[in-house]
Formats: sequence, structure tokens, C-alpha cells
Amino acid sequence: MSHSPDKACEPNLVPMLDMVLQLVMFFMVCANFVMERVNETIKLPEAVSAAPLDPNAQNIIFLNVNDQGQVLLSALDAVGKDNILSNPIQVQNYMKRRYDEDVRMAGGDTTKPLRSTLIIRADQRTPFKKVYDIEVACQKAGYKNCQLRAIRHGGKLETK
Amino acid sequence: MSKNKRKEEAPVEPDLPITPMLDMSFQLMAFFIFTFRPAPTEGQIAMSLPTSEGDKNSQTIPDPTDEKPEVFVVRVEAADNGTISRMSITQKDAVDTRADDLGADVRAYEKALRTRYNELKGDKAKAKVSLEMADNLLNEYVVQLLDLGMQAGFKNIAPAPFSKR
Repeated sequence: MSHSPDKACEPNLVPMLDMVLQLVMFFMVCANFVMERVNETIKLPEAVSAAPLDPNAQNIIFLNVNDQGQVLLSALDAVGKDNILSNPIQVQNYMKRRYDEDVRMAGGDTTKPLRSTLIIRADQRTPFKKVYDIEVACQKAGYKNCQLRAIRHGGKLETK
Repeated sequence: MSKNKRKEEAPVEPDLPITPMLDMSFQLMAFFIFTFRPAPTEGQIAMSLPTSEGDKNSQTIPDPTDEKPEVFVVRVEAADNGTISRMSITQKDAVDTRADDLGADVRAYEKALRTRYNELKGDKAKAKVSLEMADNLLNEYVVQLLDLGMQAGFKNIAPAPFSKR
């Protein structure tokens, strides 16, 4: 085994660069998942008349309601580690905090339209009473309107 | 002499490293594949939140000169599994207070609402449908009834639990 003396020893930096870029990519994809505020486990009902989200809506509050009637908050919306609101009182307390925040942002003027848009993403298997109790809790917190989320359906729905 | 030496040197061949560039392209492609999100297919049905009982501040004094909007009350009963078992429709404050039975068919519900909407004489935009629903009715059917009501033409549809009769 002989080495030619005129060949310089050169470290190959390309795989290292690849590795670094892959790591960067991994972290970017992870950051995107954290930003996601909707819960994929919720199976939404379908509706023909569901309208697309207003592009001007800035601050959206997502309330993901599972089939047990619990509100699942995303990592961004949760306060501390507690991301499950299991009864209407907890929902009301949480929404009251958000409402106070909105009023503070509006300079304390409660007559101004609130900056937040409230979207309820309720599972199709959730009983009506559970969703209604959450709506009442939001109303008691100060909100007046909400939007019920559904899968947009292009054509006529099959009636069951 | 030195001029001749330079002439004898082999020409320098340009070496373009394709492999790292290809790697880079694949990585960029992978990045865009991972971050690609098709246009969201989710939509919203806008609605007013229910007014809580005893909320005196939200109540306004009715103007006697105002024309009262027509209100249709649809009562939806549910089976044990949360599906629709029976529906009936009645008009609030009407002379004939008998409820029309719609059975469990949502097509009959849509037809009944459409007929009533077309027969409306006053301001159609003010007409309201109050959906009184059983506690265990699944959200799937709640949204379906809201959707069909909106397709029938009504803009103001309010879901509510059964009222005590």
C-alpha cells in the first residue's frame, strides 16, 4: 500500500454540509407542527354552506371539542401544561381571560369589535348539549358570535 | 525560456461539482414537499352565541311599531344513538299553533323550511328558525340541520335545547 506523495489530503465537507442542512430542515418542519392549532383527531361534520375563513381574521381562537365534550387547546393557546378544559366552568374562565385580553387591546372599549374570531371545531360525534354548554360559557365570558367549523362540501350532501 | 515552459503546462479544466448541487436541490424539494399544505377545505358557519338566562343587559325594550319577525320553531327529537328520531315544525305566535310532523327525514325538513321561506311576506332576512334539539343529538345532525336551513334561505338560525312546555 503506497500513497502518492503529490496527492494532497483534503477533508470532504459535502456530507457534513448535507447533515447540517438536514438538521435545519428537521427543525423547520417541527416548528411548523407547533404552529398548528387545529387538532387532527377531531372529525368534523360536513356542510355545503360552510364559508371559507375571512382572510382578514387576525387573532383566531380555536376551541377543539372532542366527542366527550372536552375542549382541547393547542400548545399555543394552552395556559401552562393544562391543555384540556373538561367542563364549561373551565371554558368560561379561559374565555374570560381571552376576552379581557381583547378588551385591553381595544383600549378598554367594550363597544369596539373584538379582535379575536372564535371558532368552535366540534367533533361530529359530540352530543349537542356539550357543544351548547361551551357556547353558553363563551357567551358568559363576553363573546357574542362564534363560527362553527365544518368540512366544506362542494355538492349536494347525501341526506341520512 | 520561461515563456516556453508556460506553454507546455497542461490546460486547467474547469471542474463544476454537480453532486453537492444536486444534494441541495433534493433537500430543497424535500423541504417544499414537507411544508406543502393544500388549501384548507374547512369552512365556517357563522352564528350568534345563545343569550344566557337572566341576562337582563342584553334585553332591549321592543318597539311596538317594529314589525315582528316570523319565527319558526323546529323541534328535533333524538334516538338513543344520537340520530334524529322525529322532527316537527310550528310557527311562533301564529293563529294555527299545531305542529307539522316531519318524521325523521331531513329532506322533509328542508322542503318545509323552503316552502315557508318562499311564502314569507315581510322582511325575509329577519325571519328566524329556532332549532330546539334534544341533548344527545349528535353534532353531525346539528350541523346538517343548520346547513339545510341556510340552503332553504334562512339567515338567522339559532340552535337551542328543548324548551320546557
